[in-house]
Amino acid sequence: MDNFPIDKIQISGAALASLLHRASSAVGDTHGYLFGHAAVSTPNPLSDHPTTATVTSLLVATITSFLSIPSHLPLPPPPPATATTCLLGWFSARRKTPLRPSLKDSTATLSLSSSPSLAFTPQNSTLSLPPSLFLLITTPFQDQLIHTHEYKAFQYKGSAFEPKSLCIVNIGPSFRSQYDSFSPSVELPAMDCELKGPNAMVEDEIDESLAGKKNQLKDQKQLDLCAEGFEIGRLSKLMGAEAAYTTEMEELYDKMLAKIDGLSRLVEQSNAKVLEQENHNMRLRSRVAGLE
Amino acid sequence: MGIDTVPPLITAQINYLLSHCPFSVKVEQMWSGCKNPNYLDRFTLVIPYCLDHIKWDVTFNAMYPLAAPDVIFGPEDETFQPYAGATGKSSKNILANWNSKDSSQLHSLIVELRDAYLAYQRRRIGEVDDERLKFEIDTMLAREGIEMYMSSGTDKPEEVKFAVPLLDMDFNRLVAGSTWRHPQKIYLQVTFPVGKKYSTAPPPRLKLISSSELKALFSTEDFKLPTWVDGMCTAEYLPNLEQMLNSQIKDAISSIEARRKFIQSLTPHFGRPIEADPVFCRKATFLCSSQTFTFLVHFTLSLQFPKQQPAIVLQSSQHFNSHGVPVKSPNITECPWSPRWSPSEKADRMLEFLAEEALNFKKYCNQLNQQ
Repeated sequence: MDNFPIDKIQISGAALASLLHRASSAVGDTHGYLFGHAAVSTPNPLSDHPTTATVTSLLVATITSFLSIPSHLPLPPPPPATATTCLLGWFSARRKTPLRPSLKDSTATLSLSSSPSLAFTPQNSTLSLPPSLFLLITTPFQDQLIHTHEYKAFQYKGSAFEPKSLCIVNIGPSFRSQYDSFSPSVELPAMDCELKGPNAMVEDEIDESLAGKKNQLKDQKQLDLCAEGFEIGRLSKLMGAEAAYTTEMEELYDKMLAKIDGLSRLVEQSNAKVLEQENHNMRLRSRVAGLE
Repeated sequence: MGIDTVPPLITAQINYLLSHCPFSVKVEQMWSGCKNPNYLDRFTLVIPYCLDHIKWDVTFNAMYPLAAPDVIFGPEDETFQPYAGATGKSSKNILANWNSKDSSQLHSLIVELRDAYLAYQRRRIGEVDDERLKFEIDTMLAREGIEMYMSSGTDKPEEVKFAVPLLDMDFNRLVAGSTWRHPQKIYLQVTFPVGKKYSTAPPPRLKLISSSELKALFSTEDFKLPTWVDGMCTAEYLPNLEQMLNSQIKDAISSIEARRKFIQSLTPHFGRPIEADPVFCRKATFLCSSQTFTFLVHFTLSLQFPKQQPAIVLQSSQHFNSHGVPVKSPNITECPWSPRWSPSEKADRMLEFLAEEALNFKKYCNQLNQQ
């Protein structure tokens, strides 16, 4: 499969930190998928110097999330790509090993990057890009206090690993250019934006038809995914020329935060359960392996 | 739990590899990749290749010792991807069907990977744009067991090394009673510079190298290589070399017999040796006495025996220096000797010589003790 060179790989500081934490807290080695998005961007040089007029387009891949499992388990079939996230590649985290791809790394990368069904199309382009990124995470051979991790990103291209630099994106003035390529990823239900007065008769009409009710229920479900207890009616009111716009907006934001809060609590509780089970499994495994 | 434990399943794999491998593989170091650093599950294998060594890191997982290991090749071999040619899931390699209960799996994996490495080096060298090298490969590859290696680095000049096994003879059988575990071989190392354009190609660097244990029988350093004539190729060079080598090896093997006979002929005069090298007959020690003075005689017989006389060291059983070490004479290499004497004459002359030398040595010992 033809493979286009990725010019830049970005990852948010938080995502990288989370990845490193996952690698260092795991009992053994881990591996997993890297998700995110890719886009072809044409940087604006903001200069009127005539020589810089040549416009080059860059293929930029941004890692936004990952999925990790212990290395002894094979990678599951990757989930289908959505409109906002696609499978960019995978990572392998192994302690105290040289920072170069291993036999397994090259075999797995080859298999991922050569499966046509996993290819995706970056934004603003017609290219078809296979998941060819590989991020290798290791630790130094000697335990050190400050330098605790090493990582290297590669793109697998033409049956060889090409080292790529990994740009860490944080919040702050020096990362302002990031906002050029910002695209919101929260999906609120699509609302009618009819310019209509507060006409009670019309509203009743919509509410009472069966199809309308069904639609409303579906929209409410979609809204519930990102906000805790915010009725769809209030959201639709935001579309009109209502007076209490700011307070309603703030209310929606609060409800969205509450939703995130609830989700993170669930994650925390399930993580504790997973950890407990992991520890139990490890004791059993040690017994089987003859280490006790 | 003791410190530094290797999980039993991993130990079994390593032990099988070390005891069954057709080439002499070594484990260089072991370390841990676990959160608990007491479980050792990764190690470096030193594998002989093309008269040199390649180092591969093998990583197991102590927490999941049932899982297949992974291998990380040397930094200069990043393009070596042995299973990349096979298509996807249909590839039938050992790693894909790893069975931790079978302790021969690591052994099979390493043998399989080394074969793949040889094919990889051969492919790389085949891609080098060098007329002479292409010709050499075409004419040489009819011989079996040739290994080759291309060294390339920014700091080193590019060159291609060949290790050509010489003489299709089984040394392990020729030397009676040898305890060699691996088959012994003599190789010619041929090194061609590549990548530069010469008007006349310089001759390759040639070196005769034997497997290390063979040094007890034959010294490749003492062998004078025939000269390389300009415009020659390796296939032309080899027959003459092998002929010369063959006759010298025969001499070396008959030299063992000469040494054995010499040691046996000493027995009537000195009694049976208290210690002797039974395979190569390079060393023998006798216990002797001259009146009340008892001493040991160490004979060291060179590979050139009987052309070269034995070296003798006397060691007193009664005199010790201030550190409590027995007093030894300097190495005596000047004794009456002729290769043409019969074994019994050699032994007679040796007895006469030693009877005299024993008195000198006794004097020497007494003087040392009086000081």
